[in-house]
Amino acid sequence: MLLDYAFIASIAVLVFGSLALRLTSSRRATFAFSSTMLALILALALMLLPLGGSATYMGVLSFNPFSLFFAVLFTAGIMLVNALAYARSRDYGNFAALAALALSGMYLVAFANSLVSVFIGLELMSLPSVFVVLLSKRDSMEATVKLFIMAALSVAVLSLAIVLVYGAAGTLSLQRANAGALMGFAFVLFVAALGFEASVFPFNVLLPDVYQGSGAYATAMLGGVNKKVGFAALLQVLILLFITSRADFMVVAVLAVAAMFYGNLVALLQTDLKRLLAYSSISQAGYILIGISVANQAGISGSLVQIFAHTFLFIGAMSIVAWLESRGRSGIDDTLGLYKDNRFMAIALSVFLLSMVGLPFTTGFVGKFLIFLSAVNSGLAILAILGIVNSVISVFYYAKVLTSVYTAKAGGYRVGVDAPTLAVVGACLALTVFLGVYPQPLVHIAGSASSYLFTAGV
Amino acid sequence: MNPLFLLLPLLAALVAVAADRNGSRVKYYALLGSVVGLAMLPLVGFGTDSLTWFSVGGTAIQITTSITPLSLMLLFLVLAMGSLVIAYSFGFMDLPSEQKRFYVEMLGFETAMLAFAMSGGFILLFIAWEFLSLTSYLLIGFWHNRENAIAAARKAITIVLISDIALLAAIVMFLNIYGTLSFSSILAAGASGSLQLAAMALLLAAVITKSAQFPVQEWLTDAMAGPTPVSAYLHSTTMVKAGVFVVLVLLPLFSEAGMMPALLAIASITIAVAITGAMREHNVKRAIAYSTVEELGLILLAASVGAVFAAIYFFFAQSFYKSLLFFGAGSSIKATGSEDLGVITGLGRSRLVKYTVLFGALSLAGFIPFDGFFANFGIASAFATNLVAYALISAASLATSFYIFRWFMLQSGKPVSTAVSAGFLGLPKSMSYSMAVLAVSTVAASGAFFAFPSVFGMQGINLQGHAGMLTAAIETLVAAAGATAALLFYRRKATVKTLAARAVAEPAHSAGVATVTNAAYAHLAAFVEAVATGFAFFDDRLISAYDIVGHVAVAAGSHSRKIASGSTNTYMLVFAAGVALLAIVVVVA
Repeated sequence: MLLDYAFIASIAVLVFGSLALRLTSSRRATFAFSSTMLALILALALMLLPLGGSATYMGVLSFNPFSLFFAVLFTAGIMLVNALAYARSRDYGNFAALAALALSGMYLVAFANSLVSVFIGLELMSLPSVFVVLLSKRDSMEATVKLFIMAALSVAVLSLAIVLVYGAAGTLSLQRANAGALMGFAFVLFVAALGFEASVFPFNVLLPDVYQGSGAYATAMLGGVNKKVGFAALLQVLILLFITSRADFMVVAVLAVAAMFYGNLVALLQTDLKRLLAYSSISQAGYILIGISVANQAGISGSLVQIFAHTFLFIGAMSIVAWLESRGRSGIDDTLGLYKDNRFMAIALSVFLLSMVGLPFTTGFVGKFLIFLSAVNSGLAILAILGIVNSVISVFYYAKVLTSVYTAKAGGYRVGVDAPTLAVVGACLALTVFLGVYPQPLVHIAGSASSYLFTAGV
Repeated sequence: MNPLFLLLPLLAALVAVAADRNGSRVKYYALLGSVVGLAMLPLVGFGTDSLTWFSVGGTAIQITTSITPLSLMLLFLVLAMGSLVIAYSFGFMDLPSEQKRFYVEMLGFETAMLAFAMSGGFILLFIAWEFLSLTSYLLIGFWHNRENAIAAARKAITIVLISDIALLAAIVMFLNIYGTLSFSSILAAGASGSLQLAAMALLLAAVITKSAQFPVQEWLTDAMAGPTPVSAYLHSTTMVKAGVFVVLVLLPLFSEAGMMPALLAIASITIAVAITGAMREHNVKRAIAYSTVEELGLILLAASVGAVFAAIYFFFAQSFYKSLLFFGAGSSIKATGSEDLGVITGLGRSRLVKYTVLFGALSLAGFIPFDGFFANFGIASAFATNLVAYALISAASLATSFYIFRWFMLQSGKPVSTAVSAGFLGLPKSMSYSMAVLAVSTVAASGAFFAFPSVFGMQGINLQGHAGMLTAAIETLVAAAGATAALLFYRRKATVKTLAARAVAEPAHSAGVATVTNAAYAHLAAFVEAVATGFAFFDDRLISAYDIVGHVAVAAGSHSRKIASGSTNTYMLVFAAGVALLAIVVVVA
């Protein structure tokens, strides 16, 4: 019972907290910020309290290691984005309310035990996110409309997929379904609809436009958190529903390869930092998909570690972009002489980018290592090799940014960083390095989360 | 005792970052870290040690250290050369504002190489390998306001990161095949299967990239844009030696996987390319950088025919004379302010510098009693039974002796100005004394040729007997012939001046060609250089792996970029196309 209360309380805190905020805080951003942070910390504490347990609530929600992994990840991610928005947003009060609503949607997805929860959760997340994008930048209308239309399309496809499952299985709960022609098609529709949320190529080719057209903190939220919600939904649905029809997972392998090549090759040509990170995150999604297509416990563990790693790498890098953007710089060339401007930011950006390549003693290495290892161990060495080829390609564009960062620039001078940005970058850096040097806790938690997916409902 | 305690330079770097705010004491921390490390080396005992880093699904990922005679030799070289290089930098690196960054990066570089030397398994090896790449990148691009340094650093980081990824792939495959990543277990299990072959191929790719072998030798010669102490360190004991060291450690695996012919071919081509490069090069540092590429090729060549002792000794001996020659180049640069062999003059002004550099050149050329003689002798003996191979090796020796004395003579002309003389005479003591220590070492290291067989417990190479004496005599003759040719070509000031004219490519100087009294030598020299340039054309234009990969990738990228056109209709179409494609995949599967 304690579990249920803890869980319900954490969602209630957020939803009602956000409404209360909306009423009180339009003028007093500092108050709104501190109360939002307090609510988030409370939610985090409530979730961590009954650690390790497992329970189902009313058949639609479930509290288990997998949901806990993602709920904690989302809370931490939104916390960081929240601090960033506080530093950058022109309209922080609205952001706080929207982000809290979106987070309660994310919780629904994380704790889902039924397709209904997944559907409602995704909707509850997407709508506020669209408005976050709209409010994040003066000329963000184009990005907002694109995001909205594509989100609507993916919702339509998702509904169709859910209908197919209901028709074939007669239930909406997340449990193993029997293979069949209809289910094969449902699999594809799920991959497409949830793949859009998880920014899987080719269902998200608008992503770079949206990333570029939004304020950097909104981009951090979309790429750092919302995208991971897509992966949480994708993992639950694919593994819990379809694990018996293993052949279908070839689809995911095909997507993984396509995403890696598309993201990495196009990233080579980018001159804008946000677009570069957008394409790089498409390719990172490709590595995550390799782990999913392996479709065993080791592969999913690797994917979870990579999802965790990328959350903080992306938010960290995007915070630095936000800081640069606030000084009117957004191109790769604008990072020129960053080392001279601010050493901490330069070193942090280097660590984030190198971790995306797979630098040891960072979380990025652990994730890639586990994913490639699981692919080779499952006889899918070809996927690992294609992943390696892509890592090689990615070196070219990451090196471009790194070189620019360490190149001296005439007339450079020291530039300070505001406290919230510094805190966010510092936290991301600390997590990336600490869990890279000492990865055992992360590997362990990811392992128990993935083992839940394979043991649930058997 | 776990040998990780030897990572003292890391401690020194951390202390320097934390305690030394203006960078005035950092050089003493750096020297102390290296010297104390060297003093503590006898405390290291032979054996293997493992720490579990993390474990996944029952497989423990372990950081394994292993101390063998071979790794002890490398640890000694890294710490000893590290101390000397840092001492030399006291004089060379006299810009106060850059000292902290320089020494901290140097210490990081040294730490990475120490970790590499003591690694007994692939995990620690990979970590060290990756950090070697990063620290070398920072050091090559140290002068981050110079165009060429930035370009060189970018090329270096791109190429070596690719080698790191190849290594990671190989490691994952090894873990799949053997279930362990420690060298001893892998060597005991031996090689089998096609996955193993793929892993070995990736490992080979990583090795030749790190050790700047054909076709990716280019990054190393460009890497000369870094400060000279860095070049000295990088070329003698760290970074590039890492690749060949892996081959020496895992030689049985390469042999069982049937990679020896590939190794032989790569090494041979590299040697030919490097020699031609060294003969035509006008940059004082690049010329001896080509020579490093050649020497690494020679080590691989010896390893590929199973002459392990020759390879190990060459590995050891090369460290001393190569860092000495780089120190000499650094002195010339410091004294004259130029890196151009056509501009540098007056090497003879300071006797200490002249004779120490001469020691280095004599050793590299292979004159007795310098360590280079024994190193070359070992390689030559390995090929003594095959007449064709022996002739080729001797030709390489001849060319090597020629180019190093060309390099020496070009710098030895009469000083063009009093400023240059003063530059040589006023070189800081820390620089010239470090060179003196190394000059003595080039002779002292010869002793190792006789001591190593018992240390390593392997068959040495017999210098006595008819075969041994004959090889030694031929080698001496060849070295003498090469040196004499170079002395004759470059003896005359006029010839030197002609070359200087071409080197700086200034029309005003080319008038000097008409005044050449003995044009024949100049023409001959020009011919030799022309042949070398012709060969190098192939090297420059066609075989640049870096460019080819880059161009192909960019071409493919510009094609797929069109998908993201900015229109929502297109995006929806792509979405639908994706769904259709997946449906087809499901139906087919």
